[in-house]
Amino acid sequence: MMILILGGSGSGKSAYAEDYLLRTAGDKKKYYIATMQIWDEEMQAKVDRHHRLRQGKGFTTIEQPTALEQAASQMEPEAAVLLECMSNLAANEMFSREQPVDRETVIAKILQGIEVLRKRADPLVIVTNNVFEDGIAYDSATIEYIEALGRVNERLAVEADEVVEVVAGIPQRIKPGSPGAKAQNWQDSRG
Amino acid sequence: MILIIGGFAQGKLHYVEQHYVQREDRQEVPVLDGTLRLASDSKITWATESAVETMPGKQTEQPTGRQTAGPQVIVNHLHRYIREQLRQGTDPEAMIANFYKEYPDCILICDEIGNGIVPMEAEERTYRECTGRILEGLAAQADEVVRVVCGIGQKIK
Repeated sequence: MMILILGGSGSGKSAYAEDYLLRTAGDKKKYYIATMQIWDEEMQAKVDRHHRLRQGKGFTTIEQPTALEQAASQMEPEAAVLLECMSNLAANEMFSREQPVDRETVIAKILQGIEVLRKRADPLVIVTNNVFEDGIAYDSATIEYIEALGRVNERLAVEADEVVEVVAGIPQRIKPGSPGAKAQNWQDSRG
Repeated sequence: MILIIGGFAQGKLHYVEQHYVQREDRQEVPVLDGTLRLASDSKITWATESAVETMPGKQTEQPTGRQTAGPQVIVNHLHRYIREQLRQGTDPEAMIANFYKEYPDCILICDEIGNGIVPMEAEERTYRECTGRILEGLAAQADEVVRVVCGIGQKIK
C-alpha cells in the first residue's frame, strides 16, 4: 500500500498521517523518514514539535534530507514507513548544491527513491504539501520547484492506492473516489 | 461548457486530455493558451505528453471511452487571459461569456489563484478578486465543474 496525504500548512496532515500509519502498521517496525534540513531555530522548533507528537508511538527516525533510496538500507525488510515531507525533499534535491538541479532530474531522482523504498515499505505513507493555489508569480527558480513538486505529486497519485487531502484536520479521500464524485465522460456530462 | 479548476502544476490539461479527449480526436481539438482567439489554423499543443508516462513498470490509465464528438475547443490558462484583459482595461467577463455562448461545447481550464495571502498591490488584489468572481459565474453556468488536485479530478458540480 502506498498512501499520499496532501494538505496546506498547519492543516493537520502530519497528525492524520501518523494515525494512519499506526492504524495500518500491524506488528511491523515503524520508521519516520524526516526530510527537513534544519537551518535555524524556527525549523528546530517545528522538528521538536513533531518529535513530541511522535513520542511513545514507537517510531524510529531516519534523517534523510536528500537521496531517499539510502533510507531503505537502514530499514528492516518489512517496514511501515511515514515519509515527511515531499515538499522539503524536493527543495533539498533541487537547491542543496551550488547550482539548482534541473526539474526533470529532481523528479526522476525522487521517483527512483520512492521505487526503492516501496520494496521494503508497506504501508508507505507520504506527506506532501499544497503550495499551488496562491497565484503568485514567483521567480523562475521557485516556479521550477513548484512544477517539480506538482509533477511528483501527480505521478505519486497515479501510483498510490489512496490519496487523501486534509483540510482543517478533516481528511477527504480523493482516491479512490466515490462513484458520484468521479468526473463522467463527455457524453454523460452533456446529457 | 465544462470548467476545470485547480492549483498551478496539478496536471489539469493532462486530466482533460485523459478524460475528455479520445486519442483519435487529438489532432482536431484546438487548445488555446491564455487566449480566446481561435484562428482557423490553431494547432493543438499537447505539451503535457511527456508527463503522461508513469513510473517504471506501470501503464498510464487509458482515456475513458467517449463515442460522441468531443469538446470543440479547450482553453488552457484562462487566468492568464483574465490578467491580460485587466491590464488592457477590457472586460474579461463579457468576452468569456461571449466565447462560451459561441462554443457551448468548450472546456475552460483555470488556475486556482485565491488561496494565498491577500496581496498588498491593488492590481494583484483586483486580479484575484476578478478571477474568483468570473469562476463563480462560470461554475454557475457550467454543465460540469471539476477540481483537479495531484492530477485527480473531483467533480464538484
